[in-house]
Amino acid sequence: MTEELLRRTFELRGRDFENAGEKSTEVTSILKELDIDPDVILRVGVVTFEAEMNVVMYADKAILSFILTDDEIAIEVADQGPGIPNIELAMQPGYSTASDEMREMGFGYGMGLPNIKKNSDEFFLESQVGKGTKVYCMIRLNSNG
Amino acid sequence: MAELTHGFKIDREKCKGCLACMRVCPTHAIRVKDGKARYKPDHCIDCGVCLTACPWNSIGATTWSVEDLSRFKFKVAVPCPVLFGQFPTGITPANIVDGLLTLGFDAVWDYSVEIDLVARAIQEYVEKWKGATPLISISCPVVVRLVQVSYPRMADQLIPIQLPREIAGREVKRRYSADLGLNRDDIAAIYITPCQAKTISILQPAEGAVSHLDGTLGITDVYNAVLAYASLQKDETSKSGHRPIIRNSTFLRLHASEGLGHLLPVHRYLRVTGLANTIHVFNDIEKGKLRNVDFLEAYSCWSGCSGGNLTVANVYVTRSKFHSLARNLPEMDAETQTEVERRYSIEDFTLDAPIRPRPIKGRTAGTLKEKVQMVQLAESTLAGLPGLNCGLCGAPTCKELARDVSIGEAAKQDCILLSKNRLQELQRTYLRETE
Ligand SMILES: Nc1ncnc2c1ncn2[C@@H]1O[C@H](COP(=O)(O)OP(=O)(O)OP(=O)(O)O)[C@@H](O)[C@H]1O
Ligand SMILES: [Mg+2]
Repeated sequence: MTEELLRRTFELRGRDFENAGEKSTEVTSILKELDIDPDVILRVGVVTFEAEMNVVMYADKAILSFILTDDEIAIEVADQGPGIPNIELAMQPGYSTASDEMREMGFGYGMGLPNIKKNSDEFFLESQVGKGTKVYCMIRLNSNG
Repeated sequence: MAELTHGFKIDREKCKGCLACMRVCPTHAIRVKDGKARYKPDHCIDCGVCLTACPWNSIGATTWSVEDLSRFKFKVAVPCPVLFGQFPTGITPANIVDGLLTLGFDAVWDYSVEIDLVARAIQEYVEKWKGATPLISISCPVVVRLVQVSYPRMADQLIPIQLPREIAGREVKRRYSADLGLNRDDIAAIYITPCQAKTISILQPAEGAVSHLDGTLGITDVYNAVLAYASLQKDETSKSGHRPIIRNSTFLRLHASEGLGHLLPVHRYLRVTGLANTIHVFNDIEKGKLRNVDFLEAYSCWSGCSGGNLTVANVYVTRSKFHSLARNLPEMDAETQTEVERRYSIEDFTLDAPIRPRPIKGRTAGTLKEKVQMVQLAESTLAGLPGLNCGLCGAPTCKELARDVSIGEAAKQDCILLSKNRLQELQRTYLRETE
């Protein structure tokens, strides 16, 4: 039986490049404190950071929820924003609508969503054009986690 | 997991419990209990900031002295390039070498060949690497410790190639034992170091690794003697006939400001200096925010090794001196080039053992649920603390006290605002003399 041990929610703001990445750092520092397996922390870090960056780059605002149970970690990022018209296309590695400025900063390689999926044990993406996007990821704790 | 060894010790007699070291420690590794400072060994990265901050001279470091040299039959100085930028204009590298010889050394080793060898080995390693980037140089021992302790999952990114000074130590022993028919143990390779951290890495290498160097002398230890000698010889060429040292500018450029970057032209390179800046960049790496960099060199000192805590001269003067020395030298000379070609194919440059992480002991005991409860206890404790970070509880910040409370190493009542007893206790400890 899985028991919820810890839940945290964070607000994210679009276009806030200044603070981009802070919430994912908060999540990973909690996991470090808990002596979670470094590989798991790495995957959670990639997933939350990429999801957070997508909010910063494309959406208006979002809620990031982090839920720890005794055998898994779930991350959900639900944003209010333009939504993704063609999910299949957005999921393709290399597909990006990032601006030149974003590319200058080292983003916009179209690798965020594919990386999120690759690092998750379960992954869902829901989006409604004009309303927003919801990314859900689950990462299992290793037996020694 | 073996215990971490540390190069610093606090003398309890001299320590006044003044909190100076605790406040400056970048990794929050110091606590003050009963009026005395002490280390949390798993947090310490041997940076030496505490030693510099202590007004009572109560922090000592692992050292080695000129007297220790007498144990060896043949003594070779292996000076860090920084040494050559320390002296006033007019004192040439040849004068400095002669000064070292009068101090009791039998030879002085110029490790430009080793710098080039190592640069090549790194280049090859970087090219073949398929893992996470950037790869991180192990040149600064404080940075290595920082990764091991605070960024354990980046430990794989530390480049497992020996340092030029270590390869030099190995070659010194090989060369002179062959040439002079001596036992390797009779030959000492002594590094002339710009900082305490390198001494520690040589005398107490991390994780039981073995150093090829036998000891160190700080630049501060040799400076006066070399200066006194060299001042008499000013502008004259070598008296000793020791072979010319520093034949190319590579040796000087290593620490002038360029690190190894100029030797690795094809790679995307980043150089960071200062511990706070390094921590900032490492946080970005950890998040995945730093992209487009293959090779990173980070130095704990903001001015790189030329500003190490055992140097004498002003950093800017040192740089200007390097600049004028380097101007008259070719980037590479034929002799060095030939030696590099000859040795590269026959020597191995990899570290004996990879550098492993040394994460801070967290809440190791207990189930995940218990650990979560501890984290929650830290959070609720913090909420009840004043947030003044005054340090009078003996922890550097309220957050650190809360964390200590959650792991049972402190009590909430250590906060002076929460307990009258604590105030009285502090009065007893700190006002004792005036009573
Ligand atoms: N939350 C979102 N809201 C609206 N559009 C999004 C959102 N997330 C992704 N997209 C769209 O999907 C595309 C692909 O996203 P993905 O994260 O894979 O790459 P990227 O952000 O363009 O580049 P990278 O993540 O490599 O920096 C984006 O360019 C954008 O058009
Ligand atoms: Mg993205």
